[in-house]
Amino acid sequence: MSQPILLLKRADLEPGKVRKCEVGGVALAVYNLNGTFYATQDGCTHATASLSEGDIVDDDCIACPVHDGTFHIPTGQPMSFPCEHPIRTFKVIDEGEDVLVDLDQESDEAADAV
Amino acid sequence: MCNTQGDTPIRLKRRPIAQSIENLDQLMNLEKGRMSRDLFWDRDIYEQELERIFARCWLFVGHESQIPKAGDYVSTYLGEDNVLIVRQKDGSVKGFLNTCPHRGNKVCFADLGNARQFVCNYHGWAFGIDGALKGMHASETYEAAGMDKSEHGLHPVAHVDSYRGLIFATLDPEAPSLAEYLGDMRYYLDAIFDMDEGGTEFIGGCVKSVIQCNWKYASENFVGDILHAGWTHDSGAKAMVGGPVAEVHKTPEQSYHVNFNGHGWEFNQDIVGNCATLGEKELLKYLYVLQPKVAERLGELRSRMIGAISSCTLFPNTSFLPGQNTFRTWHPRGPGQIELHTWTFVNKKAPQEIKDKWRKGTMMTFSPSGVFEMDDGEKWEYSTRSNAGFVTRQQDLYLGLGHDTRVENTDLPGNVFQGQINEANQRAFYQRWLDLMKADSWKTVPQRDLPKMKEGV
Amino acid sequence: MNAKTAMPEIGVDAETQRRVEQFLYREARLLDNERWDDWLALMAEDIHYWMPTMENRRRADKNGTYAVDRGALYNDNLLDLTRRVTRFKQPTAWAEDPATRHAHVVAGIEVYQGEAPGEFIVHSTFVNYRSRVEKDNDLLVGRREDVLRADGESFRLARRKIIITQSVLMAKNLNTFL
Repeated sequence: MSQPILLLKRADLEPGKVRKCEVGGVALAVYNLNGTFYATQDGCTHATASLSEGDIVDDDCIACPVHDGTFHIPTGQPMSFPCEHPIRTFKVIDEGEDVLVDLDQESDEAADAV
Repeated sequence: MCNTQGDTPIRLKRRPIAQSIENLDQLMNLEKGRMSRDLFWDRDIYEQELERIFARCWLFVGHESQIPKAGDYVSTYLGEDNVLIVRQKDGSVKGFLNTCPHRGNKVCFADLGNARQFVCNYHGWAFGIDGALKGMHASETYEAAGMDKSEHGLHPVAHVDSYRGLIFATLDPEAPSLAEYLGDMRYYLDAIFDMDEGGTEFIGGCVKSVIQCNWKYASENFVGDILHAGWTHDSGAKAMVGGPVAEVHKTPEQSYHVNFNGHGWEFNQDIVGNCATLGEKELLKYLYVLQPKVAERLGELRSRMIGAISSCTLFPNTSFLPGQNTFRTWHPRGPGQIELHTWTFVNKKAPQEIKDKWRKGTMMTFSPSGVFEMDDGEKWEYSTRSNAGFVTRQQDLYLGLGHDTRVENTDLPGNVFQGQINEANQRAFYQRWLDLMKADSWKTVPQRDLPKMKEGV
Repeated sequence: MNAKTAMPEIGVDAETQRRVEQFLYREARLLDNERWDDWLALMAEDIHYWMPTMENRRRADKNGTYAVDRGALYNDNLLDLTRRVTRFKQPTAWAEDPATRHAHVVAGIEVYQGEAPGEFIVHSTFVNYRSRVEKDNDLLVGRREDVLRADGESFRLARRKIIITQSVLMAKNLNTFL
């Protein structure tokens, strides 16, 4: 059980955008999907690449900037070739102007997924 | 907005130039209006054209309107080199050989689209839209081999630049600037591609077909051969306007051949002659209403060109017809074949119904199903093919019309000749061809035509 | 996909099927024999005769390989078709003299009920072979999706969409209808 860590201010990331945050020694990709924030590992599970340099596509997926493979942001699941292995998700805590992350917990969507 | 000739590319290797065929001068005697059929048949001449014409000149690759957003691309050709023309994030345009630097596979199989990156489907080499190699399938193996990714990006073309929305590229790092290459022809290009605010755009996509002819038959036809229209296109005119092609040879005082650096434009001053063949009164009205405004913007002469009986070729292999608004490149595919890519251009600010009528009009007249174009292809094919005959190909061809029609002491830029029923532009086209074929580099290409326009205009 | 392709495919009785097939076979024979006026007479007043050009795009590209406001080899109403026929009949249509030898082969004819009574949606495949002069031969293969309207004992062609297999037309011209 760890303390939630501050990622960024709500105003720092526009809807439809992604950026990299390094907190607690972990590189994260942080996303704003229509006002809801998500966080995943920044490194692609397929090859050496930083997901935060990619594009959000199909509303809620991240396309890796190297081979264009996609992951579903809320659950971390691989959606298209060549991605095979899910990316790790982290639970985001929304406190109004502050967006925080709990590095010990996965996202609710990932936890709910079969 | 394009890259200008800034950086010298380090990823575009060129061998030293091959030795020229000897005695090229014997291929033509333009003073006497004769030329050799070898130009349309000989395989060695064709191979030398690939090096000294197509790998050297500025060639048309697309219109700015085809690639508006970052990642938009078209796949096209510089001669027989397949290239990708890609809009960059900073708004500039880059061009690359469409071949993976790994084992050579085609990188992008689509004709056009929008890409976040280009991934080769053989070993997963992934390139950014800027051509940089970003990663590979099983990339750790390459890292172990000590490979430096920055040395293995897509091969960039030497230069990309544009004029009035028309994007050109060259594979020769030593090419003159696009402005210098187009020279005084830019004065006339403005009549069509800068006739009103906002300029032009391409609409409706690209129609492609194959004709079994030498590329120069197509280029020379559009550079100055309006003569053929009265005979070849009688059926097309009767179909679309119910009467024969206008007898322009009867009024040479109102028409011209103009050429510069091998580019050539033959034109009348009738404002709408070409457009009339589309059989659409609304298009004529549009041009008649526009013409006085163009006169204020560009002067009377150019305003009368906007849809007139006319045609133009930009050396070597890109041509267009004002009024019918068809724009095309004749890609060489060996001495006996071309692949024809055609587009429709319109003024951006024209109303949508007018644009639609032009898109339909070019399809009806100048496409493989077009009632005008249908009659051209067979002539070019059989002009080319007749040279299979060993003795046939030793006979000369005639190119002597309009020898004494030069207009001296004119303010008009370029070399000006009176009367569009003429072969002056064709002679200038072949003179330029000969100059380039004989020269070992751009440095030794003669500058026959001295520009009246400033380079930066 | 458009609304038309989402329509349920309800077949027709054997006699209607036979009459539609005969209509298409006769149309092919008219074209083989350059009976242009007889062919034009098969068209409805509001005919839309459309043969788009095929673009090579990635499957994921939502723009699709063709659209009605993009490239086309035919995008004709009755006036346009009539103008083309006018050219064919000119003695100065040089690419038609000597005459082209045509064969229009039609197969795979499927007939379904159309949207309105008396209308039929008809699918067919075609093979078109043309030979000119000595050995100037061209082959084009594709599909057609038609809307036919009952017209007395026969039919009229109200809409035709022709999907060809070539993206680069491997011929210098297209001097027939398909």
